[in-house]
Amino acid sequence: MNDIITTACKFVTSSIGRKILVALTGSCLLLFLVGHLAGNMTIFGGNVAEGETSWINYYATGLHSMPAWLLWSIRLGLLAVALVHVVLTLVLKYENYNARTHYQKEGTLKATLSSRTMVITGIMILCFAVFHLWQLTFNGDPHDCYNHIIHAFQDPLCSIFYIVAICCLFMHVRHGLQSVLQTFGLATRKVRPLYNIVAVLFGLVVCGGFIAIPVCVMLGILK
Amino acid sequence: MANLNLTLKVWRQASPEAQGRIETYKAKNIPDEASFLEMLDIVNEELVHEGKEPIHFDHDCREGICGMCSLTINGVPHGGKKVTTCQLHMRQFKDGDTIWIEPFRAAAFPLLRDLVVDRTALDNIIAAGGFVDVRTGAAPNANNMPIRKKTSDAAFDAAACIGCGACVASCKNSAAMLFTSAKAAHLNLLPQGHPEKNKRVLAMVRQMDALGFGNCTNLYECEAACPKGISVDNIAKLNRDYMLACASEAFGVFS
Amino acid sequence: MNEIKFPVSDYMPDSCIPDGPIAEKWTKYKREAKLINPNNRRKYTVLIVGSGLAGGSAAATLAELGYNVKCFCYQDSPRRAHSIAAQGGVNAAHNYQNDGDSVYRLFYDTVKGGDFRAREANVYRLAEVSCNIINQCVAQGVPFGREYGGLLDNRSFGGSQLKRTFYSRGQTGQQLLLGCYQAMEKEIGKGHIEMHPRTEMMDLVVVDGHAKGIVVRDMVTGEIKSYAGDTVLLATGGYGRVFFLSTNAMGCNVGAACACWKKGAYFANPCFTQIHPTCIPVKGDYQSKLTLMSESLRNDGRIWVPKSREVAAKIRKGEMKPSDVAENDRDYYLERKYPSFGNLAPRDISSRAAKEACDDERGVANTGRGVFLDFKDAINRMGKEWIDGQYGNLFEMYEEITDVDPHEQPMMIYPASHYTMGGLWVDYNLMSSIPGLHVLGEANFSDHGANRLGASALMQGLSDGYFVIPATLPTYLTTQKPGSITTAAPEFKEAEDEVKARIQKMMDVKGTKTPDEIHRELGKLVWDDVGMGRTKESLMHAIEKIPAIREEFWTNVRVVGSTEGMNQELEKAWRVAAFLDFAEVLCYDALNREESCGAHFRLEHQLADGEAKRDDANFAYVACWEYKGTGELPVLHKEPLTFDTVHLAIRSYK
Repeated sequence: MNDIITTACKFVTSSIGRKILVALTGSCLLLFLVGHLAGNMTIFGGNVAEGETSWINYYATGLHSMPAWLLWSIRLGLLAVALVHVVLTLVLKYENYNARTHYQKEGTLKATLSSRTMVITGIMILCFAVFHLWQLTFNGDPHDCYNHIIHAFQDPLCSIFYIVAICCLFMHVRHGLQSVLQTFGLATRKVRPLYNIVAVLFGLVVCGGFIAIPVCVMLGILK
Repeated sequence: MANLNLTLKVWRQASPEAQGRIETYKAKNIPDEASFLEMLDIVNEELVHEGKEPIHFDHDCREGICGMCSLTINGVPHGGKKVTTCQLHMRQFKDGDTIWIEPFRAAAFPLLRDLVVDRTALDNIIAAGGFVDVRTGAAPNANNMPIRKKTSDAAFDAAACIGCGACVASCKNSAAMLFTSAKAAHLNLLPQGHPEKNKRVLAMVRQMDALGFGNCTNLYECEAACPKGISVDNIAKLNRDYMLACASEAFGVFS
Repeated sequence: MNEIKFPVSDYMPDSCIPDGPIAEKWTKYKREAKLINPNNRRKYTVLIVGSGLAGGSAAATLAELGYNVKCFCYQDSPRRAHSIAAQGGVNAAHNYQNDGDSVYRLFYDTVKGGDFRAREANVYRLAEVSCNIINQCVAQGVPFGREYGGLLDNRSFGGSQLKRTFYSRGQTGQQLLLGCYQAMEKEIGKGHIEMHPRTEMMDLVVVDGHAKGIVVRDMVTGEIKSYAGDTVLLATGGYGRVFFLSTNAMGCNVGAACACWKKGAYFANPCFTQIHPTCIPVKGDYQSKLTLMSESLRNDGRIWVPKSREVAAKIRKGEMKPSDVAENDRDYYLERKYPSFGNLAPRDISSRAAKEACDDERGVANTGRGVFLDFKDAINRMGKEWIDGQYGNLFEMYEEITDVDPHEQPMMIYPASHYTMGGLWVDYNLMSSIPGLHVLGEANFSDHGANRLGASALMQGLSDGYFVIPATLPTYLTTQKPGSITTAAPEFKEAEDEVKARIQKMMDVKGTKTPDEIHRELGKLVWDDVGMGRTKESLMHAIEKIPAIREEFWTNVRVVGSTEGMNQELEKAWRVAAFLDFAEVLCYDALNREESCGAHFRLEHQLADGEAKRDDANFAYVACWEYKGTGELPVLHKEPLTFDTVHLAIRSYK
């Protein structure tokens, strides 16, 4: 038992161990994104006449009618995953900052913009997430979710903020996904280019899906 | 063959404690066939003739194998041409270019003078576990242990690391993962290194962490800067081996 | 021209060769050798200077055995010693190829390759332990080249007609050194070795006639310090940089060996300096070093120059591409002169043949000092991919330096100073004429006689360090009380003061020439006069000029900076001063040896066909030079060489 605890402690304080935890939590968040997107897409089911339930309202009320313990376990679980992800990356970033002494003239050969801005895009996404929860999850009636969303996105500022945040999400996911595979030790020279393509495609699909909503609202396709 | 006139922006620092600064020098009539270090020799010779102290830099074999030469050129260790600084030739530059020359920077590489840094931390990682613990004289006949050519070649690819530290210097996080993983992979791939695999991986990673290197965030800048083409596949392998080694240490599996 | 009459002494220390048949000497030695109890070993402090294959392997092995080891190197890490640059391979008599190899044949080839100027017993021991070296390195994880069946592959090298060379692509030295470095780091980690990188040995401390310590300079702080031990192991490599341009690393120097010579260790056969045939030719005055292209390239490359001077002139001017020269217009001179060994003739012979071709104005390269090494036939025969598998990194390196792709155009090569067979004299125990001072690897006068065969240097360094010194060191140590001398002995203070005074003297000159400029001047003189072909006139010329350059150094050198902290100019100046003190004895030895043998070629002594003419009646001895003061004639001691097993014969590779 002692061995397990000692190793676990060493694991969660080691560079690779923490990276693996970041990758694990990152993968959970990626899965969440997929689920979330699937739910959001129900908005394209359109609005319906008075007295009937639109797809998205059905979906939203469905979520809310889950037993409280289940809903809150999922919410708290997600919160924990996000917290671990955020706290560990910030700690690692702090350590990395201290491990480095800076060049007068900086140069970069290969590291992509998205890989170098993970913390910035990450913080953007975090801010966005808080706002998003406040705006759409904890405010508004799930039975009238559709109109609530349409109403929110009719404000161009709000839509633009969403679009910018989702672009950050794209950059974050684009590096994150293939990075997860490298961290789990599943990458080799031969498959790494493939992972890159998969990461970009995944990012495009997920983020494209998310962005489609405010865009369609602003273009008047969804009303 | 042509001669080049260049402007050099060089980091000068008299001692570890002193305040460093960038100084500007003119390098005149540099043959484009000269190596980068020979260009610095020419500049230094002139400085000495003027009674000034020459630019100190590390170098030894000047054939790209000892790993002693360092220098971050225009923000990229070894200049980013897939060779060591000593093998970088002036034909890579154009007449009138301004070249920034700085030391290999990382908190784990304390600066000693000008462009000279202390890379002992890399030796410490090896001392922690980068070896096969065999005594001299006890070895069996070399052909008693056939090794797949592919395995042997892969081990060699990892073993080609010259320990120059460009991976650390290029890393935006100053991580030493490429160095550590290359050495671990070299030995872990081979049957000779197998008995100590888990022990080695844990010891080397823990030592690396203790020395104040940063953490890898999979930027792959190291691979691009490496003059010997060491692959980040080694990092993936080290991540994997580390998980297995931790599992082995904690639960007694995979041992 | 005045004759020089060298003072000759009858005294010669015992070379301690065990008696009995040659094949049993080493076994007998080990059977009868003194041993030290494991618990007592840690009481002995062993100071090792140099961390290359010889020093590093000795440090690792002695530390494993339990000795208290302190190791010093001038580089920032023991992994950077210049053994790392050896490309081609390491010989061993494993006979894995079933092509008739044996310990005896390796021994025979080495003695013959050295033109019968090596000590038989040492060479036999070297051949005997060669297989253990390979076994040891494989166990350490050195990734040698393998065949698809998983067993070790071999290639052939100059001077042998079979394949006995083990290799790791073109980086064999690197892989062997890393094996040895890892073994060292293992012992450093365990606290058995105290490693001192960036530390240069400045002087040897001799107490009551025994080597008991060293004075060093900390190259970071500039501090002069002393270390005391029960014995000193010198593994500081060769003096090839006396020619300034060489394949050696920039830091390689004779300083430590020269200091020991001045303290009484005999310098043996300094005139045996190897000029390697396959290096990239010189480009210009600013050049700092020459790059070796591994001898292994000669397995598949064919060496040629144009048959006519006109074609050569056109190539030099760039009016004609080498690849456009018709087959009929090419002179594959090695294949023509030495049909049975062809392009794999030994190094000394290949180098001289290149020089002859260039002297005949058929040389290429813009300086006219270059010959071609052509892979066209090999590429046609085996394909580009196969060639890249064998020599990929060498081809890349060549292209990097010269901007020419050797797949398309032949490489241009020319001989350059590479290895020095001469060195401090040692007996069978590897102990010099100063009791307690052991010398290993290239630094000793070694097992290579007048010429070293390819892939033998790695073998010798590792043999000395892994297998010989661990067995022979107790012979000396058991005669000593451990830890009897400390740095409190007055000799240490005295040596430190001398070093400090010499440094101060250099700093105080404040002249106009940089150490490198003086080194270049010396190098050019020694290369021209004591290089590949030597005559009495050229040697006398050098002997006359060297004191003038030395004088210039001590009156006109400019060493900027201070004695404190890091000062690379001071490091250079210190090393140049040692080369200046040493260069004369190199010339004296070459002058004294009135014969041609191996790498030492006196133009006066050649056979009708231009081959070396040995004089076994008068010169079958090791010339050992005892220092008598700078500028004074050294005293010659002679160790006669007897050849009981291999019979003296004219070396023929035809």
